[in-house]
Amino acid sequence: MNHGKPVRIVMVEDDDGHARLIERNVRRAGVNNEIIHVANGTDALAVLFGPDGSGTASVGKHLLVLLDLNLPDMSGIGILEKLKANAHTKRIPVVVLTTTDDAREIQRCYDLGANVYVTKPVDYENFANAIRQLGLFFSVMQVPETL
Amino acid sequence: MTAIRDLSVWLGGRPSVEAPSKGARRLIRVTYVLSGVALVLLVALFATSFWLFERNQQATVSLLQAREQRGALFRLMLSVQAAESGQRGYLLTGNTSYLDPYRSALEHVNDRLQAVHRLYASEEVARSGLDDLITQKLAELSSTIALCDAGNRAEAMAVVLDGHGQRTMDRLRDQVEAMVATADEDISNSVRTQTAVAQSTRLFTAVSAALILGAAVGAVLMILRYLRELIATRSALEVANVSLEDRVKERTSDLYRANEEIQRFAYIVSHDLRSPLVNIMGFTSELETSLADLASLSADPGLLKLEAGSDGKRAIDKDIPEAIDFIRRSTIKMDGLIKAILQLSREGQRVLVPQRIDLGELLDSISAGVQHRLNETDGEIVIRRPLGVIEADRLALEQIFGNLIDNAIKYRRPSVPPRIVVREEAARFGEVTIAVEDNGRGIAREDLERVFDLFRRAGAQDQAGEGIGLAHVRSLARRLGGDVSVTSEVGAGTVFRVRLSRRVRPERKDEPR
Repeated sequence: MNHGKPVRIVMVEDDDGHARLIERNVRRAGVNNEIIHVANGTDALAVLFGPDGSGTASVGKHLLVLLDLNLPDMSGIGILEKLKANAHTKRIPVVVLTTTDDAREIQRCYDLGANVYVTKPVDYENFANAIRQLGLFFSVMQVPETL
Repeated sequence: MTAIRDLSVWLGGRPSVEAPSKGARRLIRVTYVLSGVALVLLVALFATSFWLFERNQQATVSLLQAREQRGALFRLMLSVQAAESGQRGYLLTGNTSYLDPYRSALEHVNDRLQAVHRLYASEEVARSGLDDLITQKLAELSSTIALCDAGNRAEAMAVVLDGHGQRTMDRLRDQVEAMVATADEDISNSVRTQTAVAQSTRLFTAVSAALILGAAVGAVLMILRYLRELIATRSALEVANVSLEDRVKERTSDLYRANEEIQRFAYIVSHDLRSPLVNIMGFTSELETSLADLASLSADPGLLKLEAGSDGKRAIDKDIPEAIDFIRRSTIKMDGLIKAILQLSREGQRVLVPQRIDLGELLDSISAGVQHRLNETDGEIVIRRPLGVIEADRLALEQIFGNLIDNAIKYRRPSVPPRIVVREEAARFGEVTIAVEDNGRGIAREDLERVFDLFRRAGAQDQAGEGIGLAHVRSLARRLGGDVSVTSEVGAGTVFRVRLSRRVRPERKDEPR
């Protein structure tokens, strides 16, 4: 994706095993971009908004966020809200990848500006399949530069 | 604790509800007694009034009669005296003009005597001797006048002077006066009676007025008291009602909450268990992928040349695949169980949609769905009519009967072609009972209730399944306002009976499920 420009995938996922499996299956789809894995909300905010929390740290980068909603220290929805409310980060594509398939939750995420919502399949075969397809999707999608 | 506190309030409230009813019984008794007394008083009042009126009437009648008697006697006496005066005038003067009053008096005497007769009883008149005295007197008068008319005046005077006529007249006067005196006495008696009656009437009226007034005031007071008690009872009842309603509401919402918690718990548990399981399964797959890479190594004859080569080859060819296989099978089983819990919790959250369902039609479509499996085993399914039409959730009914019919085919006896009979049986009012009977392997007596438990299965474990089918059937049947029961004989067959309410009340979103 975005050939020539370094798109980085920020993966917010508290389960290390899931993170590893996601990474492997994304790679299998031919996506070789850098994947930054953060295991909790605090780290995620630090990566996305910088140490000062202003969001200027992301300026000039091409980022894509893969967001799990169930995090140990905060709700993924809180992170989504902050991302879409900040002038610098509001264009970063956010893919919500989580176990919840509650209709209200999905609505809420799209209302807040999530770009894609994917329910983690509960068995491995479908899980691997879904992630690979997501990887294929990443390989063709355009990611805007953060201003 | 809240429930117990409420209960004590409720129990505390009860005596105040019951007390007025005891009071009301007393009140009714008192009301009856008062009404009885009032009735007796009223009757006595009427009787006494009537009696007093009668007495007054009698007194008036006898008063009037005495006065008439008196008048008649005076008038009679007047006529006799007028006749005598006329006779005396004629005898003294010889002037015939004196005979006019005599004659007119004579005309009246008889009438007036008859009037007296009418006013007195006949024996009373006879005893008085009035008739004789008047006859004697009139005879004396007419005889002297006849002598005088004949020119024999001196002889007529002699008769008068003889004093016989005078004595007759005196006796007559005395008699009449005696009778007048009696009449006078009667009059004064009657007047006394009338006065007494008037006095009694006044007194009696005053007393009865007081009594009636008292009864009326008593009745009004009674009614007021009764009303007050009625109002008190009603408000106590209202309070009790409200507290009862509140308690029911509280309990129901407790149940909702508990149920919701269980649902959420099942959901969270299944989700959270699944997360590590995805890792186990995922990395088992990864391990297999890596093993495939190792397989080429194991095929390399150079491997056996190494010191640990044979051990390594065994590990690659046998031990690792075996371990992976066990891990895989266990995780698949665990995955199945978690999936089952998840499905049950999802099912539990589904809102039932009641609609009219023709059971015959529904069972026909289910049996059509299993027809090919029955054909494979020479089996048959009989949907026996008539079957009713009920109001229920279609999907729930499909799952209930689908599960039961599926079980009937699954747990057939290997040597006997399955024969399944579905029929309606006698049920309580407002319910239907559908029996699903098979000729399968049956369920042992000690397993009969266990088959409805989650993850529990009976008999030989030779069929695929998680052990949730019948648990699901039971939970659905109960949600539809019924239940499911089973009778069975090992080696002969099983009958499942599904009891269903004819009408399912629609579930609220927050109701326990």
